[in-house]
Amino acid sequence: MSTTPPVPPRASVDPRGPRFAAWVTSAVLVAVLATGWWPLLAAQALVFAVGAFAGLRYAPYAALFRVLVAPRLAPTDEREDAAPVRFAQGVGFGFAVVGALGYAFDVPALGLVATAFALAAAFLNAAFGFCLGCETYVLLNRLSIIKPKVGTAR
Amino acid sequence: MTGLYVALGTLLVAAVVGRLVRLRDGRNRRARAAALPEDVRRVLDPADGVTLVQLSSQFCGTCHQAKALLTDLAAGTAGLGYADIDLTDRPELAKELAVLRTPTTLAVAADGMELLRVGGVPKREDLLTALRPHLSA
Repeated sequence: MSTTPPVPPRASVDPRGPRFAAWVTSAVLVAVLATGWWPLLAAQALVFAVGAFAGLRYAPYAALFRVLVAPRLAPTDEREDAAPVRFAQGVGFGFAVVGALGYAFDVPALGLVATAFALAAAFLNAAFGFCLGCETYVLLNRLSIIKPKVGTAR
Repeated sequence: MTGLYVALGTLLVAAVVGRLVRLRDGRNRRARAAALPEDVRRVLDPADGVTLVQLSSQFCGTCHQAKALLTDLAAGTAGLGYADIDLTDRPELAKELAVLRTPTTLAVAADGMELLRVGGVPKREDLLTALRPHLSA
């Protein structure tokens, strides 16, 4: 019962897609912090939501990657599980929503802090390929007040 | 203007954190839990001197990389076993084991004592070198 049963084949993506998306996300979040313009953060929240809840196939930055970037790169056999990427998008969505509400309702400190957290996570993913939300899932789960688990988005 | 400073500060902190994570990634670390709970002891094969217990989660990006490396290592090393525990729905066990990230791999002796642990995808040679003294028995 403790060991994992054999897993069925799972959805996967070209790992360079999420890296590209993380760079775009980082740029957008820097712009949000610099301008404090909440509609931009709300738009980013929407982008996160599509990736997390509808699927990476529909994620805007992933589409951008497929159309603009992927054709210029050598094809790869390398695959990455889609579930962690979607989970991370869900975490990003949470921070973006909190941040946008902070900015929109004149609590700029909340907007700054929430956006900064999202930026840190996006930049770690973009520059280091380190998915903060994924790797620390067990920690988030431990700290989560919504038992028994967070992030059911798959 | 404050926002721009916050952005630059955040990028700086994230860059430092990223470098630290990269430095620690895959390195052997000291054991955290001396005697492991029953949930972990249960997956040990008494025939193996040391078992590599990989702690995974469903949202783990590099768990299958770690699994491929560790199963291969265990298959090619006498007295070394491999087991996988999914912590996705078991936050209490994650807490008990003081695990913050997946994959984390515990090297566990046959008597249920933790020898060392590795966060991230382990480095094959480093891990084998550290385990060798425990495998001779």
